[in-house]
Amino acid sequence: MVSTNDDFTARLMDEMDPELLQFIKTKVTSFIKWDLIKFFHQNPHTTDTVENIAKYTGRDEQAVQIELESLAQNGLMLKTTVGQTTVYTITSNIQLRESIKQFVTACEDRHFRVKVAYHILQGLDKPSTTSQHQTSVEKAT
Amino acid sequence: MKLNRVKTGISGLDEMLGGGFLAETANLVEGAPGTGKTTLGMQFIYNGIVKHQEPGLIITFEQFPEQFYQTASTFGWDFVDLERRGLLKIVMTSPEVSRVDLKRVDGIIEQVIQNLGVKRVMIDSISHFSRLTQDPIQSRELKFAFLNAFKRYGITTVLTSEGQALLGEAHGNDTVGFIVDSYLILRYVEIESTICKALLVLKMRGSHHAKDIRQYDITAQGIQIQSKFAGQSGILSGYPHQMTDSFVKAFVKP
Repeated sequence: MVSTNDDFTARLMDEMDPELLQFIKTKVTSFIKWDLIKFFHQNPHTTDTVENIAKYTGRDEQAVQIELESLAQNGLMLKTTVGQTTVYTITSNIQLRESIKQFVTACEDRHFRVKVAYHILQGLDKPSTTSQHQTSVEKAT
Repeated sequence: MKLNRVKTGISGLDEMLGGGFLAETANLVEGAPGTGKTTLGMQFIYNGIVKHQEPGLIITFEQFPEQFYQTASTFGWDFVDLERRGLLKIVMTSPEVSRVDLKRVDGIIEQVIQNLGVKRVMIDSISHFSRLTQDPIQSRELKFAFLNAFKRYGITTVLTSEGQALLGEAHGNDTVGFIVDSYLILRYVEIESTICKALLVLKMRGSHHAKDIRQYDITAQGIQIQSKFAGQSGILSGYPHQMTDSFVKAFVKP
């Protein structure tokens, strides 16, 4: 059997800690999620609205809302209300916080970051994920 | 009656304050960018933890907590370790969220205060409340209620405020100076083509305090108050002159 360049790339990209790989494939499914995870890890006691979190990360507010909601569903973020206002903060779950820490620490390595980008792009290319993403955008608008 | 003092631990400042801030008060530090407002507040929090066993809370409305960790480390203050040990927390939020949160029973900030046993709070900066309303009366009421919430917990608060003028007198219309218990002004001063920094305790309710304007430096250990500006007048104008010049101008005929 002849292996193609694509197979070779996929194998190369899969060469990482299985737990981290699983974390990336299930939690870090977009570049904005990556930004948000990093931001909340580095500023762990942040509690704020979508509008302000979007300002802190320099991203589009609607996109941030979708991704924060997704991260909350995945357990990485905690969604609460203060008065009438919805605010987000990072999870206090010790196991998840440890996974986040491992991920952000690993991202200090350029090669690892390339692999993360590869997996995010692979995920975005999948029709189901793309349509799901589009649906989320349509819902938000 | 002996007043309960909360020492800042900043060399020379406690003496200017008559021994320190009064306990359970709100204390404003106002100054232009780079004058050391945030450094002064961080030093107040750090010294409270390491010298007086008083846990601290920093509430930041703009500067990221990670910037606080980095800046603190340049002064040799390990804020990351203090957080790990449960003696400090740096919370990033916004005026709109924190003001509502503090009104609630068992809100996010209240939980931090109670879990850590917080005695000192720094708010950086109160100027961000201006985005809640343009109405000066409403703005004053919002800030008044916000600051009183900390007094409710028996906390001594330092809040920074952004002065607009680099040199000379600020011409803002901020009313926060009226509702705080003490008011410290940090200013740049030009003397013989050199920019120096000046500190004045403008107001301190219920306590005596130094009335002179002191020079200060931001050193590797934080803020250090120096001597007063001897022989100079017009310091707060930003362009002081020798008092002998003033005397000659005023009393000696040409």
